[in-house]
Amino acid sequence: MSAQKDCEFLVKRARELVSDDPCAAKAWLITARTLYPTDFNIQYEMYIIERNAERTASAGRLLYDMFINFPDQPIVWREISVITAALRSDSQDKHAQFLRALFETLPGRVQCEMLLKATEQCFNTLEKAEMLLLLLKRFPESVVQHGVNLGETLLEAEVSENVESPVNCFRKLFVCDVLPLVINNMDMRLPASLMQKYILKAAEFYIGYVTRGPSSDAQLQASQDGATLKSPGVSRGSQRFVIDGLSEKSSVVAEPWERLLDIVTVVGARCEWQGDKGQRSYIDMLQRVKELCRYLPGLEGETRLRYCSQVVICAALVLFRSAFLYVSAVQPSLFQGVGAMTSGPWILVEDLSSVYSDVEGDRATLKHAHKKRKLADGREKTMSSDDEEGLGKGRGRHILVNKTEMPNWSETLESFRTARESWDLLHSHDGLEAEFKKICAAWKTESWLWFRIFLSDMIIHQGHYRKAVSSLHQMASVQQPQPAQQSPTGQASLEHHRALIQQASCHYALGEYRMACEKLLDVVSGLVPPNQELTKAPEDLSRIKSKTRKGNDLRLLPCTRGAVLPFCLQLMLACFKLRAFTDSRDDLSLGHVVVLLQHDWPQGEMLFLKAVDKICQQGSFQYENFFNYVTNIDMLEEFAYLRTPEGGRIQLELLPNQGMLIKNPSPALGVELNTLLLQGVQTMDRHHTVTRGITKGVKEDFRLAMERQVSRCGENLLSVLHRFCINEKIIIIQSLP
Amino acid sequence: MGDIRQSLLPRDVLSAAKELLYHLDIYICNMVQSGRQPPQVDSKTLDLIEEFILHTPKDRNAPRMSALQELQLLEIMCSCFQEQSRDTVRQLMFSALFNLQGNQADESRMALLSKLVSMAVAVGRVPILECAATWLQRTHRVYCVRLAQVLVDDYCSMVPGSGPTLHNIHSASPRFCCQFITAVTTLYDLTSDELTPPMELLQMIVSWIQDDPRLVLITFLNSPLSGSQPISSLDVTPLGGLIRWCIKAPLAYRRDKKQTNNGSSDGEPDAARLFSALHLSVLQVFMLLPNILNEKGLFGRLALLQMESVAALASDLSRLLDQADKHTHAATSDTHAASQLALDRLAQALQVAMASGALLCSRGTRWSLGNLLQLVLSGPVMYYNNIHTPPLTYSPHAAHSPIPTLPPHAPHTPLAAHPAPHAQYPAQPFMTGMPFPFRPGH
Repeated sequence: MSAQKDCEFLVKRARELVSDDPCAAKAWLITARTLYPTDFNIQYEMYIIERNAERTASAGRLLYDMFINFPDQPIVWREISVITAALRSDSQDKHAQFLRALFETLPGRVQCEMLLKATEQCFNTLEKAEMLLLLLKRFPESVVQHGVNLGETLLEAEVSENVESPVNCFRKLFVCDVLPLVINNMDMRLPASLMQKYILKAAEFYIGYVTRGPSSDAQLQASQDGATLKSPGVSRGSQRFVIDGLSEKSSVVAEPWERLLDIVTVVGARCEWQGDKGQRSYIDMLQRVKELCRYLPGLEGETRLRYCSQVVICAALVLFRSAFLYVSAVQPSLFQGVGAMTSGPWILVEDLSSVYSDVEGDRATLKHAHKKRKLADGREKTMSSDDEEGLGKGRGRHILVNKTEMPNWSETLESFRTARESWDLLHSHDGLEAEFKKICAAWKTESWLWFRIFLSDMIIHQGHYRKAVSSLHQMASVQQPQPAQQSPTGQASLEHHRALIQQASCHYALGEYRMACEKLLDVVSGLVPPNQELTKAPEDLSRIKSKTRKGNDLRLLPCTRGAVLPFCLQLMLACFKLRAFTDSRDDLSLGHVVVLLQHDWPQGEMLFLKAVDKICQQGSFQYENFFNYVTNIDMLEEFAYLRTPEGGRIQLELLPNQGMLIKNPSPALGVELNTLLLQGVQTMDRHHTVTRGITKGVKEDFRLAMERQVSRCGENLLSVLHRFCINEKIIIIQSLP
Repeated sequence: MGDIRQSLLPRDVLSAAKELLYHLDIYICNMVQSGRQPPQVDSKTLDLIEEFILHTPKDRNAPRMSALQELQLLEIMCSCFQEQSRDTVRQLMFSALFNLQGNQADESRMALLSKLVSMAVAVGRVPILECAATWLQRTHRVYCVRLAQVLVDDYCSMVPGSGPTLHNIHSASPRFCCQFITAVTTLYDLTSDELTPPMELLQMIVSWIQDDPRLVLITFLNSPLSGSQPISSLDVTPLGGLIRWCIKAPLAYRRDKKQTNNGSSDGEPDAARLFSALHLSVLQVFMLLPNILNEKGLFGRLALLQMESVAALASDLSRLLDQADKHTHAATSDTHAASQLALDRLAQALQVAMASGALLCSRGTRWSLGNLLQLVLSGPVMYYNNIHTPPLTYSPHAAHSPIPTLPPHAPHTPLAAHPAPHAQYPAQPFMTGMPFPFRPGH
């Protein structure tokens, strides 16, 4: 009888018994093992019995024996790979937990060997890395030998597997798992250049992770339940995010900015960065490198390079973080997981709250602010050399914001300020700038839409409007290919027009009123005409408060239909205001101003009276669109009065082609109003009737037109003004130089 | 110390005993302190103990203690041992009181000892159990078995439900527990119904060993290596007794069933399961041995299982198998299965015991049983010395001697070659035939 047969017999006997009398089965196997200690099947059978009964300790012991005695058995390796798979997975099922517990019973040395050998047998880079990572996490001493190699393998895999985004499975493992092990291992000597390379890899990953856009998946979800999505703080679909190759759970990175700060802290300590006492916060970090910067000019060679890289890395991280915080408040829909829809997008534009104030005041401010601007023929010259001035005037500029509409306004503005500060620091020395540009080039920051948004706003804030316009132009072209999502609110298209509004604002600031109007009329034509008067109470409040401020400030405008149309109207008014009130006569501009002043009436009452004065001085006024777009009863009354002898018999040509309007009395007007129109003969009260002087030989058609306008007083003013913008677009633009 | 007799005489029995214990304590303390060698109590003191504590009648009409007084005395002794903090003193005192002297006082000595130990079990007096463990190591096995019998009677037979109290001894005093197991496996050799362990006891022992297999080896691990064990004392481990239980159980309990008759005995499958578990535990204990023996440098030099007792077991089994065949004229499948199980267990135990160095014998030894046995005895011999160090080396003792006389006992084995019925087996070579002389005599 051969030994082989005997072994088979013994194993068979044990198998027969195992269900009825497991003890007897085990007794057979113990005996068999003493007879044939080198027979694998006997030991495997013993292991299987214990494993199937999920007895951790004894199964672990037997696995250990097999691992030591039969290191070449494929079955052992299959078993080990099942166990290591359970270790890598985050599955909570009972068997996976048993397998993990089984592994824990093994002596550390064996665990180490097992993982190493299992790693060797692994051909998939990711799996191999995960396996090795298990090893490194358990056995810190193995980090010295394998840590850097594993890191490099992962970074190489990114290249060899042609991964586009820095937020990929290899980088995630590298940054979140391998890197902390490597840099925290004090037994390793790491060259500073390597650590700098690693910190930049980490930063690129974390920034990419934080600023990742909503996945297409989430967008799909959003469009499906668009109704519920508006509920604040809830972002169901948008939370789901999976890094290709990883499970949903391991795709989550908690507190990315904090993790990045941790890495900076450790690397800083290891690189012996100056003045580094452990980074408490990003703000501390910025303060420290700002101080450091002062010594920079006095340094040379190696030291200077070291200082430079510290300053650039720290300042760049503060810049990107602050810029992200700012943009996530201003344009939250760009990012996944940022409280989307809790507050709409915001646009940084010129503050126009003083648009209704006196022209002279405006002019004075402008003169004061821009000394080089010349006023020729009362017409403001375009500012051609804004760049050299920009920096200086950008410093103290305020950004106004409606505090009730933007609850986190102070954080947002603080982030903006910090980001700008970091940016300025990075551009305060050639050396720093060059280093920073290298980082930007490596990360391809020019393709980051969110960062472009920040940069544009920053350039606007700096007052470099010319640059801002081209930056916005670029941005608009980046945004263009994105599918214009049509939602019932028109929100998406508004966001799409964000860049246009900013461009208009910039052109205005540059004095390029025609361009400004072109842009904003493009915006307005894309807006759905309002079907009712929009409420604007909060806006009024802030404007009144800030009325003392004169020009030159910026404002964060909520990107909503309720705010955009009024802003466009104000901007148009601002464009025409100076022109209308120059010494030379420009009736068309003056007419536009009158039409636009109706908005927010009686805010513009003072300006209106100024316009009336000008008309009186001129003795005549021609504006053929008057009856199409002026429905304000106070204005109508004033113009009716101007024609009277008391009003100065002003020659008004307000009808298209002098009377192509209404020739006949309107029966629709009713007896009551007709009486009202006629009774003014006797009364001198100019404030309560529109019809004075009409009986004194005034042309019938004017009277009729007036009558008709009075009946239109109830019309939705914004609809009227919207129609004005659409219908008169060409004439409006042409009337500007 | 003999001079205190006069002061003890006028006292009543209890206070005299108490006084004597008090003086004994002082006397032994002094003895230990003075470092006298050997630390032994003189014969006069022993006489005093016999007179005033054990109340062995001398010349005078010694008054016997009442039951109540006896209980009080036990209590006093309990606290006396409990309060003595020095192990040496305690142990000497216990020896002075209970070491058998080969005289007529021994009967009362055993009686008092049994009551004291039983009480110590009940109230968890660890020091007394420890002293008793030592006593069980040094005393002739006949008396050890008697002590065990009392405890089994007290805790497993007389008061139902008091088993758990006894169960706790394994945590209170593992040494005592180990000796107790050895004693009961010596006592119950499964030769008759009376000598079949009560179910409760069996369950207790199985659970003890399953919880901690090393329990069985405690005495062995704690005793010095020299042959300090008196020859007639209990085995140093209960392994031999446990093996006998497991091997004989299939046949003994079958017989049991036949007598009690009719399937009302639902204890039977239970017992089968318990013995199966026990057998496995015993094999597992064997597997612990190589390391322990190696550490002690005893591997291959000390036999924990005595050849003679194994041989006796083998012949016992042979006889039982004969009987089984004779009684059931046509061998039923049940008989076959039970016989096969017994043989399988014997073979397994022998193989594992040999491989683990617990049983020292050469392969040429002639046995007369079974198919696995054949494999065991003719197969590749290995001392299962260190399984974790490949490559495994075979023992140089390995001998492949043919065993011409061993037919298989069951037909299912592929090893079967000789269909001769076992009734024709030749006589056992090791017919020690020594009957157990220590049956509790009644």
